[in-house]
Amino acid sequence: MPGRGRAEASVRALAARLRASAWLGLQIESNWTDPFLFTAYVIAHPLATALILVGMYWAVRGVPHGADTFRGLYLASAFHNYVVMVLVGMGWMIVEEREEFETLKYVYTSPIGMFNYLAGRSLVKLALATLSTGLTLAVGWFVVGLRWDWAAVHWLPLLAALGLGVFATVSLGFFVAGFAMLMPRAAFTLNDGIAVALYLLCGVIFPVDLLPRALQWVALGLPFTWWYEALRRFLLGHGSSARLGAWSDGALMLWLLATTLLFSVAAHLAYLGLERRARQLGRLDQTTLF
Amino acid sequence: MSALALELRATWGRAYGRLVGAFREPTWLITDAILPNLGMVAFVMLYRALGAPRSFEALAVVGGLLATYWINVLWGMGAQFYWEKQSGQLQLYFVAPCSRMAILSGMALGGFLLTTVRSAFGLFLGFVVVGARVEPFSLPALLGVFALTMVALYALGMVMASLFLLWGREAYHLSNALYQPVQFLSGLYFPLRTLGPLGIVAAGLVPLGLGVDALRQVLLGAGAHALLPLRAEVALLAALGAAFLWLARVALAHLESLAKREGRLTQRWQ
Repeated sequence: MPGRGRAEASVRALAARLRASAWLGLQIESNWTDPFLFTAYVIAHPLATALILVGMYWAVRGVPHGADTFRGLYLASAFHNYVVMVLVGMGWMIVEEREEFETLKYVYTSPIGMFNYLAGRSLVKLALATLSTGLTLAVGWFVVGLRWDWAAVHWLPLLAALGLGVFATVSLGFFVAGFAMLMPRAAFTLNDGIAVALYLLCGVIFPVDLLPRALQWVALGLPFTWWYEALRRFLLGHGSSARLGAWSDGALMLWLLATTLLFSVAAHLAYLGLERRARQLGRLDQTTLF
Repeated sequence: MSALALELRATWGRAYGRLVGAFREPTWLITDAILPNLGMVAFVMLYRALGAPRSFEALAVVGGLLATYWINVLWGMGAQFYWEKQSGQLQLYFVAPCSRMAILSGMALGGFLLTTVRSAFGLFLGFVVVGARVEPFSLPALLGVFALTMVALYALGMVMASLFLLWGREAYHLSNALYQPVQFLSGLYFPLRTLGPLGIVAAGLVPLGLGVDALRQVLLGAGAHALLPLRAEVALLAALGAAFLWLARVALAHLESLAKREGRLTQRWQ
């Protein structure tokens, strides 16, 4: 059937483009050194972040009820690697390509398309983030006593939550990349700012209950707040926030789904608009740093 | 003009450019001052969530303040020659009639002054917004320990800058890779003593840990859970500062000639 044949060809072409951009992304990320040093570089940051939390916990480990609270917070910190490496990393891709290597204009004019290119490169970021998350969890398991009962894990909602969270991360990554295209000089600040803002707002290492009331509402509007709470609840059996604890598992998943879809659609539309605007304003090859 | 006057003018010239340049790009204020301090707030809130004694919150605030200087040393000192290489400006430093040490000193002075202005935001955030509290303390002791810490830290930055003369993209990635591990090994957000013998080894390598530990002792007394007595830490900081300044001078001369021989000084995108 011609229609089916065309669809298959389109899928094959898309897969080839994603593969090519992922391969190129891996070269850009890693070809400055040998594989051993690159691996050490990739794991140094998340490992050190995890160890800082471990150090803080060890320093106050006599505190009553601290252990359970800490394990929940540490778990979210492990998965926050996805946000730092993928979501924020997609903004850094634009900065690197345009400012440092001055190749963004060539990517833009290639048949692969900017959207596919970013999607392909995000696959490498996803793989690296998965490695970092696994490593952080391993440190938690062996050093902090972050253990869970495998039989008591709610596998289905856990996997659904994991998928939704990763989808939200990549989707919002496009939004960050779009902004980086439009705002050459400010992209540096924006990328770092988003990472810190989400670290503070989404209840990664402290419950959202400790935020000022107005910021709690902002936190509840973000998919990552629900993602981290869902991961804690379905893996460890308890969340970390009294406020979110009042929500049933179903309601929690529903909000995670709703905020993820809402943000993803908005981020996709915003990316297209930002990319178009950046082109109109001649920002795609505007270097400001070197 | 005497040789000394030339060096001093070169130092001030480099510092001036850094100060003026930074104020011309206000968005970098957010990157250098606000964001690291917001990270510090997250760590304070973690202590609060864990129900830790209040002194730990102040301990994290002091660490967060020092983190802004560490960022400046890494990116504004260590990796600076990488940026200069990328912008095609590095060779200008080498044809200037002053010494490289004068330029590095200017970079350090400008970076230090700028970061000090910017750390005011951290002070406000930590002690006013978050509400961390310290014990009554001696201001001369605080300023003295702070000055020693800064000399040692920026002297380390000079050593790193000379190493980075040789490197291209490795410099960028190394700065990235060093940021968090050094924060951990220096106990920026927890007492260095928590690391046990590893803490002592780390303190002997990077002055950040000793500096933050000594500053906490001045500000928090017993609440600092210090690694070594204050006098010992002060003596070690002074020794590290002198050693790094000497090492920077030697390394700069050696690596400059090596970089020239290998043609790395004007190499971009590598």
